[in-house]
Amino acid sequence: MEPSSTVDASPKEISRRQFMSAAIAAMGGLIGAALGLPAIAYIIGPALTKKTENWVRLGAVSKVETGTPTLFKTTVQRQTGWIADQQEIAVYVLTEDGQKYVAMSNICTHLGCRVRWIAEQERFFSPCHNGVFDKDGNVVSGPPPRPLDRFETKIEDGVLYIRTV
Amino acid sequence: MDTKLGNYLDERFGWRGVWAAIFLRKIPHVNWLYTLGSATLFVATLQIVTGILLTMYYVPTPDHAYDSVTYITTQLPAGWFIRGLHHWGASAMVVLTVLHLLRVFFYGAYKYPREVTWSTGVLLLLVVVGFGFTGYLLPWDQKAFWATTVGTRIIAVAPGIGPWLLRVARGGDELSAVTLARFFGVHVWVLPAALLALLLIHMYLVIRNGISAVPERKE
Repeated sequence: MEPSSTVDASPKEISRRQFMSAAIAAMGGLIGAALGLPAIAYIIGPALTKKTENWVRLGAVSKVETGTPTLFKTTVQRQTGWIADQQEIAVYVLTEDGQKYVAMSNICTHLGCRVRWIAEQERFFSPCHNGVFDKDGNVVSGPPPRPLDRFETKIEDGVLYIRTV
Repeated sequence: MDTKLGNYLDERFGWRGVWAAIFLRKIPHVNWLYTLGSATLFVATLQIVTGILLTMYYVPTPDHAYDSVTYITTQLPAGWFIRGLHHWGASAMVVLTVLHLLRVFFYGAYKYPREVTWSTGVLLLLVVVGFGFTGYLLPWDQKAFWATTVGTRIIAVAPGIGPWLLRVARGGDELSAVTLARFFGVHVWVLPAALLALLLIHMYLVIRNGISAVPERKE
């Protein structure tokens, strides 16, 4: 910072009106912030709650047909806002060798419609915008941007579990 | 707003004239009691803002009303604050409106040419009380339920049509889902509409007629 060469000889006087205007603006800003900031937290609050991860029991591994996606349906307990309800989860499980299991979400990666496995055509079809996936969940045609989402799986005592987020 | 943008908008809106009419009008030498109207307006604004925020989560049905209010108060960030402001603001509204009315009454400020300002003010007091009465039921807890049971029962005292009016107010013989829904509807639609309409007339008249001076002790 260079020292300024010219110093204002007559310091600016603040008029009564200017002072009041500034004071009112400051108080208004303070009140606005005191209400506005909590309001923002209040509105985005539900979006900030952490998702709970859980291992969800799907069913006996023996039910999975080798080489074709098998549909498992299960319900999970959920608390949304002030309502406790059950959400149905549908998962396609695929195994080629009875050793490795792939659990795929039935939610289309385009806009969230539920896909269905059509055995005759060996494809998953989404009813909404003609999204088509092969049996590994890879996109064959249509608008979906990525393959079907997969869940982490584990098998305990012949029972298949997936980890939901 | 002495900027280009200010000029641009003033040319199209004439906002400087509006601003001057509202905020730069001449007023007599008055005292702090004359701030009661502004204070009421301020709290009313606060009630509107917090009320709108509460409707984001509140559900007016018997099976969820109480739970949604509990959710607002205990689960949401600042929910207790928003609801607290609305709760205490409701009492403040009644107190401030009455104090404002008393000041106008004792200063004789309701006289010519301000009779209509006074009339709309009295109607506004009724609206404020209506807000308080309908809002009291919405949490749907024991206090709300029984206070409204008693409060609506008073209507039945009216001669002749009393019992029928009670049924209209409750939407049936007893307090029910219908009562809660209609109290909510009145609280968030009917009364706010009435409040805004009356408030606009009230404020217009305050600006148009100016405010009265403190009465002086002389003939």
